[in-house]
Amino acid sequence: MLEHVGPQLFNGLVLGAFYAIVAIGLSLIMNLTGTINMAHGSFMTLAGYLAFTMIARGTNFWFAFLVAPLLAVLVAIIVERTLIRPLYGRDPVYSLLLTFGLSLIAEEVFHLVWGANTLPFTPPAVLSGTLALGFMNFPVYRLFIVLVLVLAFAALALFLYYTRFGLRLRAAVQDSEMIAALGTNTQMLYTINFGLGILLAGIAGVLAVGLLGLNMTTGNTLLMPAFVTVIIGGMGSLYGSLVAGVLIGIATSLMTLYVPAASEVIMYILMAVVLTIRPRGLFGEEGLFG
Amino acid sequence: MSGSAFNRRTFVKGAGAGAAALVVGVPAFIPRLGEAADALKIGVLEPYTGTYAFPGENETIGIQMAVDAWNKKGGVLGRQIEIIKEDEQSKPDVAAQKARKLVNQDKCVALIGTVSSGSSLSVQKASSDMGILFFASGGHTDDVTGKNCTWNTFRTCHSTWMEAHATAYTLAKKFGKRFYFITPDYAYGHALQTAFDDVIKQIGGTTAGTDLTPLGTTDFSSYLTKVTPAKPDVLVVLVQGDDYTNCMKQADSFGLLKKFPVGGPQVELEPLYGLAPEARTGVWGIEWSYSSDTCLGKGNKAAHQFVSDYYAHYLNTQKKPPTARQCFGYVSMDRMLAGMAAAKTTDSVKVARAIEGEKFQSIFADGGYYRKEDHQLMWPMWVAEIRPNGTPKDPNDLFNVVAKHDPDSIEQSVAEKAKICKMTYPS
Repeated sequence: MLEHVGPQLFNGLVLGAFYAIVAIGLSLIMNLTGTINMAHGSFMTLAGYLAFTMIARGTNFWFAFLVAPLLAVLVAIIVERTLIRPLYGRDPVYSLLLTFGLSLIAEEVFHLVWGANTLPFTPPAVLSGTLALGFMNFPVYRLFIVLVLVLAFAALALFLYYTRFGLRLRAAVQDSEMIAALGTNTQMLYTINFGLGILLAGIAGVLAVGLLGLNMTTGNTLLMPAFVTVIIGGMGSLYGSLVAGVLIGIATSLMTLYVPAASEVIMYILMAVVLTIRPRGLFGEEGLFG
Repeated sequence: MSGSAFNRRTFVKGAGAGAAALVVGVPAFIPRLGEAADALKIGVLEPYTGTYAFPGENETIGIQMAVDAWNKKGGVLGRQIEIIKEDEQSKPDVAAQKARKLVNQDKCVALIGTVSSGSSLSVQKASSDMGILFFASGGHTDDVTGKNCTWNTFRTCHSTWMEAHATAYTLAKKFGKRFYFITPDYAYGHALQTAFDDVIKQIGGTTAGTDLTPLGTTDFSSYLTKVTPAKPDVLVVLVQGDDYTNCMKQADSFGLLKKFPVGGPQVELEPLYGLAPEARTGVWGIEWSYSSDTCLGKGNKAAHQFVSDYYAHYLNTQKKPPTARQCFGYVSMDRMLAGMAAAKTTDSVKVARAIEGEKFQSIFADGGYYRKEDHQLMWPMWVAEIRPNGTPKDPNDLFNVVAKHDPDSIEQSVAEKAKICKMTYPS
């Protein structure tokens, strides 16, 4: 049994990084506007489908990988400006219901456009195959995922902490009325922030379809672990999401060694324990969402 | 100004046409009062959303094709057949509730459908409570024609016992007797595992490892990394649907498909189409193939007609050839209607009596019959090697059929079944 632990820790790390990036996208949107975005998974799926279609039409993988998330962001901005914006300032339940409805509509639209069949999405040859790590052979594609996610985390951190825009964004999370009074266009801030969250979702979406089958439910299957990640990490904390994501990933992987039947449940158990001991989550701020 | 599309002139024309219709009579495409009530209604329960939406759609096409064929012949009992579809979402509770709706509200005389075993069992329960005939077209778990068997339910697709026994011997002979299992952790997977354990005991094989994976597992990496150190002769994959796609895709990325032979009791074209060619490999049990004479029966006109009808009417929308799911749907509906025609009534008990034990020819080789004792369709099952890229002529033709097994050699005998399935008709 013990010789399996090393590989499982590594597997868990990759899985966790994945949950974390989806969770951070959710967190960004939740922190600033209180929107619990149930359509997050749909945007992931959308980016996956767009990348698939581009590649099927002869586009280079790397181009599709960069452009598909951006197209998803474009759709997200339209949705934010037309549908979600009127609900800011209301109870979070309104936007939750709206985005939940959107995710159902999106699923049917995917069904209509791309069919019910799972589509074959293959990463390019450079990213297929395995790499010998000594203790195990690890798929190159998963290493690529880790690389992309680390870069995305770093870029996000730089953006939030070393740019004026990032400064305004963080300030708005603290007190958006004050920021508005000081002359910042908060509506624009909300839109860009929403787009940023969806950009992360889009990147995760395209990465996911190299790992999972691409169909209308792909994104939503990853949404639940991401929500759990946000709750364990604590609302309002991006680092919390990162730590919680990795924690869940490793816990899930190790669980498959000992009690596979509990591997899908372990994150909920973790969530229950964290909520009991520390209701705001590991790194969460107190009082968010009342 | 050129005026809007709907101007006075078109209004007058339209009103004139309407008035003319009133004088001449109702246009032919609008059913007259009473006609709809005459149609024989049959309720179709399939998943049209979620994981099994594609097989659900495909079974419905098969059902529709059988209905069209019968309607063309003049229907059944002098009545045209009409199907009413409900999305059961692969959720047992939803399936049962919609089954009741179809019977109580829509006045359907019989039910047909389901892909997942859970839904098959729940509709079986609901329909037998209502005393209504049910054809379980696509849920495989043994229990439907095993410990949960009921007089009103006929199952068309193969049982898990048949699937495992049709393939396990072939896998052992071809690759060796040391198996590693990736098993879905629910009724269907457990039933398959039991059947495989039975074969392993018979041939003196060993189990190198078994991983029970929860249904809906997205990441199989933790399971797959355990396969290499266990050094099996063959990796046996029992998971289905999206789980199958994810598992095979990830097994390929871990390099396992090049290292170990792989196979399993059941593979379907639907999930295979969701895989890139490099992950399409192995030796698998299959339940039908549109291209193989071993499956269709040499010179079987009905089968070839079915395939060419499908191509003529559905290729444009479906873009893919017919699969075993179309076959399940077609055979189920065709036999249900044949039963009603033979019994000269829609009374469920009499129809069920007319169907059981009755031998028939259909769109597969050799013909078959629904066994009287458990209502399982006894028909051959096949083993195929996967052609990753199809044939030069047809890239969708992934099955190279290598063996055919007669139903009696792979299903439990009547005597064995009698201990499990106790069927009682209402008196």
